[in-house]
Amino acid sequence: MKKRGLWWIFGPVVVAFVLIGALFLVPFSLNHITKKDVREASVSFSKNVFKGEAVKNAAFNDHSKRYVPFFGSSELLRLDSMHPAILAEKYHRNYQPFLLGQAGTESLTHYLSMQEMTPALHKKQAVFIVSQQWFTKKGSKLAFPEFYSPLQTADWLRHIKKITPTDRFMARRLLQQSQIKDNELYAKMITKISHNKPLSKTDRKVLAVRHRMLLREDQLFSSFSKSSNWSKRVEPALKKLPEQDNNNELTRQATSIGKKQTSNNRFQIKNSFYSYRVKLRLKQLAGSQKDFDYRQSDEYADFQAVLAEFAKQHTDVLFIIQPVNQRWASYTGLKKEMYYQSVDKVKKQLTSQGFNHIADLSHQGDQNYFMQDTIHLGWNGWVAADQHIKPFLTQGYQPTNYHINNNYLSEDWQNLMPTTDNLAQFK
Amino acid sequence: MLNLQPYADPKYFVILLLALLPVAIGLYFGKRLNWYEVVVSLVFIFLMFDGKKYHEGVALVGYMIWQWLLVWAYTLYRKKANGTVVFYIATFLSILPLILVKVAPAANWTHVTSLLGFLGISYLTFRSVAMILETRDGSIKEFNPWLFLRFMLFMPTISSGPIDRYRRFVKDITTVPDRQKYTEMLEKAVWYFFLGFLYKFVISYILGTVILPQVENLAMLSASVHHGWTWWLVPVMYTYGFDLFFDFAGYSLFAVATSYVMGVELPMNFNKPFLSKNLKDFWNRWHISLSFWFRDYIFMRLVFLIMKKKWIKNRVTTSNVAYIANMLIMGFWHGLHWYYIAYGLFHGVGMAINDAWLRYKKKHHVPHNKFTEAFAIFITFNVVMVSFLLFSGFLDKLWFK
Repeated sequence: MKKRGLWWIFGPVVVAFVLIGALFLVPFSLNHITKKDVREASVSFSKNVFKGEAVKNAAFNDHSKRYVPFFGSSELLRLDSMHPAILAEKYHRNYQPFLLGQAGTESLTHYLSMQEMTPALHKKQAVFIVSQQWFTKKGSKLAFPEFYSPLQTADWLRHIKKITPTDRFMARRLLQQSQIKDNELYAKMITKISHNKPLSKTDRKVLAVRHRMLLREDQLFSSFSKSSNWSKRVEPALKKLPEQDNNNELTRQATSIGKKQTSNNRFQIKNSFYSYRVKLRLKQLAGSQKDFDYRQSDEYADFQAVLAEFAKQHTDVLFIIQPVNQRWASYTGLKKEMYYQSVDKVKKQLTSQGFNHIADLSHQGDQNYFMQDTIHLGWNGWVAADQHIKPFLTQGYQPTNYHINNNYLSEDWQNLMPTTDNLAQFK
Repeated sequence: MLNLQPYADPKYFVILLLALLPVAIGLYFGKRLNWYEVVVSLVFIFLMFDGKKYHEGVALVGYMIWQWLLVWAYTLYRKKANGTVVFYIATFLSILPLILVKVAPAANWTHVTSLLGFLGISYLTFRSVAMILETRDGSIKEFNPWLFLRFMLFMPTISSGPIDRYRRFVKDITTVPDRQKYTEMLEKAVWYFFLGFLYKFVISYILGTVILPQVENLAMLSASVHHGWTWWLVPVMYTYGFDLFFDFAGYSLFAVATSYVMGVELPMNFNKPFLSKNLKDFWNRWHISLSFWFRDYIFMRLVFLIMKKKWIKNRVTTSNVAYIANMLIMGFWHGLHWYYIAYGLFHGVGMAINDAWLRYKKKHHVPHNKFTEAFAIFITFNVVMVSFLLFSGFLDKLWFK
């Protein structure tokens, strides 16, 4: 080997570190997000987009199109012709949904996700689709690690000016998650919040550096996951829609597509879903949901945190309560009374605090072709949702009048059995 | 509490290299900072086994006292006598903690696992058993308690090798490489660190964290309706096999690079194993320090023993028996699961077939050229991949769980 000096060996290493440092710390953006990227991202369900903020900010700052955040879970993935994203595009409405959520996203995840898009929520509109399946008993936050974003957590901490009961609740909640418990930096700061102690100046400086690094990482990598949902799924679906934005026409078309696509089973479940997920285990699934219970859950408190954030931002928000496929529910033994009590509990929590825009579809799960499968809105279900979404969003932002009641964060509320009397008495 | 797992994340490398900087400067100027080196090593070992893993740390201390007393006592005995029974007892006692830890999960002795188990116990056992064997041979004559500890607890290799040899190690640790030599070692260290980053944090991440769970999932789904067999096993096999290599080779590169910075020329663990021309060649290139350990201390000794005691006359049979015993022991060492043992048997039988083929080839003058060589590499590669699929335990999950 040739004799080489130390500089020859370590020079490249030093240069590499300087370049990496520069990449992460330069104060200007290194990538450009185009309108097309944003359109793709709005229906991409990409985890990078969801966890990051670069693409979301680009979307909500777009002046040519009004992107409205649609929070939800797996139903958002059902991109059939009557899906809100497709209706809005087809009929050139004055809004376009930006879909935030997929299988496994629940209130806790959404709360953190909202932290980095507060300008998009502040005195603006949003749609929030609630699934009763979120409200299971303890230990249900299995998908949290998948959607956990250190960037959003940093945003949340940075935004805390005066510690509210919601912040303390959230701090305790996050400290139960191993992603946070095992991260010394966050665990220390979040423990302070949970003890109602403000962050020190040093904490804030550390957070600022951390935030910049994570943001740069997000800018560099969130555009990596290219999706082609727009061209592959949205564009073909557009062609199946009637030319006129007319409710009767839409219902007729939805019924006809739904009928065609649910031909292989008696539950009106989409054929592909039925053959792939249900058919082989049909016998075992009979009566399988008879012990399901959505009435007592820590999710009610997480949901309250989301409401508090909407109130803080004065967001004008429409809640859609999703039904279950009634044919399937009867087969699997899901208890109707339990289900409706849990819906009542959500509604009480909403209306008593001034969230009055509610599209309660929970009683329509037995209508034809309303659900695409067992628990997700489909053809006619989306048309029914659109009758609430369209007027709400075309009318535009209306000033809000929310009055948050922190008792909804309590364990008393989480564990309250939602009988009519109990609900009426809870204050 | 701060807990640092070796080579786990960028933070570890920054802390490690900063801590080793004085050592490197010392070596560059011809001085070995022994005390500083020991303190740094102990601190890093402490940080590995603190917090929630404190019981592993306690087990390590107990284990070290046990081995220390054992090797010391045996060396004292060996100076006076050379009884076979005493030698066997000493060897057995040295392996005993490892045996208990390996049997514990299968026998459900949870208290044994928590009392004796710690990350890296098998690698420490390899080192200490080798010392007892070499003491019996007379190649190690003196017990130096201080060097024994430094050898056993050499920080870069504490949890998974490469497995060094005492006499080689002592030569390095008690001397200082000259400046030109040390500069070359630093150059190699930089190269190995960065190659390791590529292997472990890029390639192995893509294979093991991104792709493998997806193909495994597809295999599970598909197998559940096709009686346990599915074509998805093919991508599972190759993804797992390559991931195993890049993950472990990356780890070994870090260990070698770190020890180079400390002025110790640790042997390499991998040498392009997927270009092996036959199984024997493969074991000269894959996890080299382990396979050489097994070759020197199990295979060779077993062959000598069989010949000396004249248990088997035929030389071919002797080596075949030794191959299978050797590989089976390696299988058992991985753990008491059917798939590890099957993996060992697979390689033992494979080595015997390989030998038979080489003899046939020599006798019948089978043509040998570039194409036959490429074909041999292809066959060997796929045989190895099949054995890794077995080794992965995925079939166990697929069929029996």
